[in-house]
Amino acid sequence: MEVTVRLFASLRRHRPDLALGQPLTCQLPERATLADLIQAVLGPLPDEVAIMLVNGQLQAGEQVLSEGDRVSLWPPVAGGAL
Amino acid sequence: MNISGYTGALLRIDLSRRQARREPWDLGLAERFVGGRGLASYLLYREQDPAADALGAESKFILGTGPLTGTGAVAASRYVVVCKAPLTGTIACSNSGGFFGPELKFAGYDFAIFEGRSETPVYVWIDDGRVEFRSAEKLWGLTPAATDEQVRRETSLMAKVACIGPGGEKRSLLAGVVNDRARLAARSGVGAVLGSKNLKAVAVRGAGSVCLADPEAFWLAALDALKKIVNDPVSFGSFRAYGTASLVNLINEMGAYPTRNFLEEVFAGAMPTSGEAIRDELLLRNRACFACPIACTRVTAVKDGPYQGRGEGPEYETTWSFGALCGVSDLKAIAKAHYLCCDYGLDAMSAGATVACAMELFEKGYVPGSDIGFALRFGDAEAMVAAVRLMGERRGPFGALLADGSYRLAAHYGHPELFMGVKKLEMAAYSPRVFQGMALHYATSNRGACHVRGNTVAAELYGIPKYVPPETLDGKEEMVRRPFQNSTAFVDSTGICLFSKFAITHREIVSMLAPATGLDFTFDKSIVQGDRIWNLERLFNLRAGFAAADDTLPERMLEPVPGGPRAGSRAQLHQNLQTYYALRGWDERGVPTRQKLEELGLEDTWQVCR
Ligand code: SF4
Repeated sequence: MEVTVRLFASLRRHRPDLALGQPLTCQLPERATLADLIQAVLGPLPDEVAIMLVNGQLQAGEQVLSEGDRVSLWPPVAGGAL
Repeated sequence: MNISGYTGALLRIDLSRRQARREPWDLGLAERFVGGRGLASYLLYREQDPAADALGAESKFILGTGPLTGTGAVAASRYVVVCKAPLTGTIACSNSGGFFGPELKFAGYDFAIFEGRSETPVYVWIDDGRVEFRSAEKLWGLTPAATDEQVRRETSLMAKVACIGPGGEKRSLLAGVVNDRARLAARSGVGAVLGSKNLKAVAVRGAGSVCLADPEAFWLAALDALKKIVNDPVSFGSFRAYGTASLVNLINEMGAYPTRNFLEEVFAGAMPTSGEAIRDELLLRNRACFACPIACTRVTAVKDGPYQGRGEGPEYETTWSFGALCGVSDLKAIAKAHYLCCDYGLDAMSAGATVACAMELFEKGYVPGSDIGFALRFGDAEAMVAAVRLMGERRGPFGALLADGSYRLAAHYGHPELFMGVKKLEMAAYSPRVFQGMALHYATSNRGACHVRGNTVAAELYGIPKYVPPETLDGKEEMVRRPFQNSTAFVDSTGICLFSKFAITHREIVSMLAPATGLDFTFDKSIVQGDRIWNLERLFNLRAGFAAADDTLPERMLEPVPGGPRAGSRAQLHQNLQTYYALRGWDERGVPTRQKLEELGLEDTWQVCR
């Protein structure tokens, strides 16, 4: 199946060839998870990925992906206050 | 008794008589209200009728520091500006970092209380124990940066300056107080109070330092906090690299990024206005406040073209207020609007939100183009910047309306429903239609729809202290009340910047507070202190005439999100407001019960003003 992934903030340095917000298209086996996708795109670096959206919804690494999913990844980021 | 952490003194400045005197304050108050926001609010409550005119000569304004301000504890840079808010009529407490707060402590004062009104423009020069009143005739009309430079030339190049810009001079209700050239205690219109007193600036220079009760224990605790901050991926990672604007794409992608005056929650033009774009295109370098390793402030420049300029920011809230909220995706125009607000000394969040409101009024035909002088449509970057100039200069009747914020603007044209805020304060860049915690917080926050006094997005998105889905209602009342609103009230009272809280907790803060002051600050007490401060602010607002009916949200927030990943979601405030009141120990009208006041030791405080 085909999914797209975009990298934000400091994760962009892993793919400096991509413009800001440019999606990367990935071919994955059926029933691949979000963690599988991250492994395929970033290699063994999953610790750095903190926030994962699939089609705008927050998901965890075990989430099974579907054809056409739009994935966006962030390192730990925050704002406002606490 | 040896006084540590605090200086134990306040400076009372009578602008009418041009007199200043140093007074001790009752240190017994420290364990009740901590300092900064808590203690300054208590002083205001005790000294001013909450129902009085915010811009009247009898109104007071207080500059306050916390016990940790200036100690060298990590990020302990903050001072507060406390007064009755001219924009909202609630209690105001705006805070800012930089170097001004620590300098006030070094001069020997925890607080400076300003009262009365000067006949002519004046500035106050606090040089340790000496206080002078000097003419500000030649400073009137200058930007904060130019004022800072001129005042330091006339006093001491080492002085630290807090002042107002032309916005505050004109008593615009969006005016803030600007310190260290470009840092704003921005919200609630506090700058208009200085303008109403003809007070252009306060310069301070102190040769002292802050005494520590147990220096060894203090520095061990401060070092521990420092280590936690430099090892934290947010504080020492994303804040340094991208500032808060790394949130733009995230909140937009999840469909919670208010767009075009909250008509929508996704902005197609967000990417070029994001933190990543600011870093790629505008960033010159980072800047830090006193004793802060985080250095989140971003010095930026637009090097050429019609929007040329230089300053600090924009950050998340202002790249949003002039960006998505106005439908503008031109980053240089957004930066220019931000720089202009700094030059006028205006709250850039409310300024952008007011322009957005004006755009909707214009597009719906509620404001004739002849009132504005040009077409003010969503997405028109040039018109957005032109509107900010009108507002800053208070030019013409429309400029004057803009300068007093979106509540009065929308009401003036007969469409108060287009005001997107609470208690006359504009909301921030986290949609309450998506984040149910923010819905309850905006509705109940003591200074109106402000995000920094209970930013539940930390739990509802980043999972700090623990993840709670944004859409759930269960347990949100307690989450808003305790770990966010009460906790923030405590931290704001210590002098520590809230941004440190992504890496450290109350435990680290009290382990610095206790050895700094020699007082018995503990984690358990900090919980009660935060609650007490929140309730004190509530009492001020009740006395000022606010009621449960004001704890609400704009009608639009109760309607479903029209599209994007969160389509259909809406604020469900009315389901949890009464539970929140009950948890707070308030009756169904939102008034603290006698039992609650007794529990917090506030019954006398309430009586004083009855
Ligand atoms: S985190 Fe940022 S705003 Fe807070 S004290 Fe440090 S530099 Fe200043």
